[in-house]
Amino acid sequence: MNDMRFVERTVGNEEVKIAARGVHVYYGDTHAIKDVNIDIADKMVTAFIGPSGCGKSTFLRCINRMNDTIPIARIEGDIMIDGEDIYDRRVDPVQLRAKVGMVFQKPNPFPKSIYDNVAYGPKIHGLARNKAELDEIVETSLRRAALWDEVKDRLQAPGTGLSGGQQQRLCIARAVATSPEVLLMDEPCSALDPIATDQVENLIHELRERYSVVIVTHSMSQASRVSQRTAYFHLGEMVEYGETGDIFTNPRDQRTENYITGRIG
Amino acid sequence: MSPLWLLVSIAVLALIGAVIGRRKAMASAGGDARELHSLPNYYGANVALLVTAPALLVLAAWMILQPMLIEGRVASIVPDAAYQDAGALNLLMADVRRVAGGLDLAVAQGALTAQEAHDAEATDLRARLAEIGVAVGSEVDTVILEAAQRYRVLDSRADLARTVVILILALAGFIFTVSRIDRTYRARNSVELAVLVLLIGASTIAILTTFGIVMSMLFETMNFFRQYPASEFFFSTTWDPSFSGRGGASELGILPLLWGTLYISLIALLVSVPIGLFAAIYLSEYADKRFRGFAKPLLEVLAGIPTIVYGLFALITVGPLLRDAIASPLGLGNSASSVMTAGLVMGIMLIPFVSSLSDDIINAVPQAMRDGSYGLGATQSETIRQVIVPAALPGIVGAILLAASRAIGETMIVVLGAGAAARIDVNPFEAMTTVTVKIVSQLTGDTDFSSPETLVAFALGLTLFVITLGLNVLALYIVRRYREQYE
Ligand SMILES: Nc1ncnc2c1ncn2[C@@H]1O[C@H](COP(=O)(O)OP(=O)(O)OP(=O)(O)O)[C@@H](O)[C@H]1O
Ligand SMILES: [Mg+2]
Repeated sequence: MNDMRFVERTVGNEEVKIAARGVHVYYGDTHAIKDVNIDIADKMVTAFIGPSGCGKSTFLRCINRMNDTIPIARIEGDIMIDGEDIYDRRVDPVQLRAKVGMVFQKPNPFPKSIYDNVAYGPKIHGLARNKAELDEIVETSLRRAALWDEVKDRLQAPGTGLSGGQQQRLCIARAVATSPEVLLMDEPCSALDPIATDQVENLIHELRERYSVVIVTHSMSQASRVSQRTAYFHLGEMVEYGETGDIFTNPRDQRTENYITGRIG
Repeated sequence: MSPLWLLVSIAVLALIGAVIGRRKAMASAGGDARELHSLPNYYGANVALLVTAPALLVLAAWMILQPMLIEGRVASIVPDAAYQDAGALNLLMADVRRVAGGLDLAVAQGALTAQEAHDAEATDLRARLAEIGVAVGSEVDTVILEAAQRYRVLDSRADLARTVVILILALAGFIFTVSRIDRTYRARNSVELAVLVLLIGASTIAILTTFGIVMSMLFETMNFFRQYPASEFFFSTTWDPSFSGRGGASELGILPLLWGTLYISLIALLVSVPIGLFAAIYLSEYADKRFRGFAKPLLEVLAGIPTIVYGLFALITVGPLLRDAIASPLGLGNSASSVMTAGLVMGIMLIPFVSSLSDDIINAVPQAMRDGSYGLGATQSETIRQVIVPAALPGIVGAILLAASRAIGETMIVVLGAGAAARIDVNPFEAMTTVTVKIVSQLTGDTDFSSPETLVAFALGLTLFVITLGLNVLALYIVRRYREQYE
């Protein structure tokens, strides 16, 4: 763990952005999330770690109600964003998702041009008043996702023609372009080389100034580099949650310690 | 031996060969299948294949060639004086075959002994054959009888030769493969080769038939153009065939028919594409599983209704309704058969076609695409309009083009719904007709296959074929490009 450079951790006078209380998720008969309670702070990066299949993606998808699109998924419990229950019947999931952006585990660019991929959200939500503004949004989003230099000469080429890592960054740019308040990132760097990973991590630092970011990662070093808080999931339960530094240096739960020291997962 | 018995013997031989082949292979490996190059069944299959394939191929060729060769031989012994031209010779040969076949049948049924059949006299043969149900065109004369007897001799000799050759071939295949079986023999590879040949054969048949159809159409079309100028056919705006007897020259311009075809197809597509597409979108994106499981088969039942039933619907219900409700009050015509009637009904017929194809295509758009769009805060209809339909568009266009080729080729609905009057008119409430209807009407009734009035059907058919082929190629091309979309 010596090589990990811990980022400075601002603690104190923080606001809770997302609060989950007694959340259970079922896929048919599979009980995928078991009684998760968590407070995710605003203007902070929270990392979800845990072995494969433990429910990190599932829980992440609860936060922007993407599980609504899976017919067999059933959610119990409450999730509040800014104190408002997002599973309340009056809440429009479409509005919610505009506010809570998401980068998926597998890159899923639309079969459209690179430009149109990024401009998709802003166009739908009417974020640009004219073409020049839209161009501006597309360019800054692509720059923030560290993709601009590679694609600036072929913005009209299909997004599906990019390499896997480039597609992932395109999806990040697409999510950033709608300026969400919360950004959920499901293993955003799993297909990226160290340089692009570094750029995305810089982006996460930058986003943190304005948004709250939740990132799922399998890289312990990445979690310690980018996050202030870390939650460890195990077989659908959230076993431990706290300061990233504490979790990594001083885990309270045996399961967390085993995972971090590489004995499982 | 009759062909049926030959087939049975080949099959039996193949079966025995399979069993022996398998045994021998196992024996050569000392009873341990792991020592063999291939699984034991491959050795058996290999023997069966070599017993059947060459024998069956030769048998098929033989069955085609034997009558041709024998007829040539028999025709050469018929004296020239017995017929005037090739047509008369054909008729005569038909009688020869019938007499020969009748005699064989009589022997088989026991009405005559083999000796009696051999010595049969020409005098009362016609009556005797009629007794056992063989009708001969004219009184049997000695020329015919002699030829028929010759025919019987040659035919029975050829049958014997066939039996011998086929059985030898099957046996040779048997012995050859069984003798080669050994622990290291690569039976699996040769079975693989046989499968390959089979598949190539199947695709070749498909291609060759298409080719054959095109060639025969082309041949007759060329005959037509020898008698009728191509420029008139393609550019004349009148369709007015005069049948022999009524006199006067025919006007055989394709344009009025093509116009009717395209007009009706256009209306059919205007009806079926939006409805079919929206139905597909509803079914694949909005409908819950239960409704979908019940509505989709129901829609597909619509596709199973024979077109003649749609035609009746057009004739009895839609036609009069359109005339009384729209055409007459608006002064647009008084005909129950109209382009609109046929187009509407054909459109209804095509709805399930479009919807079922589009539904499959829309379902093939990966869920990740939808997730991506929903994750950005798009609504369902935004997602459909901006992501799913564009992603599926090439496939949908392909479906529409396939529907168009069906509309162009449709006949029954047009006959009953739009009438048979060839006309170029923009009023959709007028009766018009299509290429396919005219092909049928030119070929039915008393036809003389050498007059342009009849041969024009082939030119029409070929034109239609080229148009639909073009549409299908375009559809295939688009569908293929679509496959690369979300790689
Ligand atoms: N659409 C679904 N239908 C049914 N079961 C699902 C579905 N998605 C996930 N699951 C199940 O829920 C559990 C949690 O899955 P989830 O995708 O959340 O794991 P994860 O922690 O993200 O794993 P990974 O690190 O491999 O991405 C798994 O047991 C999985 O099989
Ligand atoms: Mg996951």
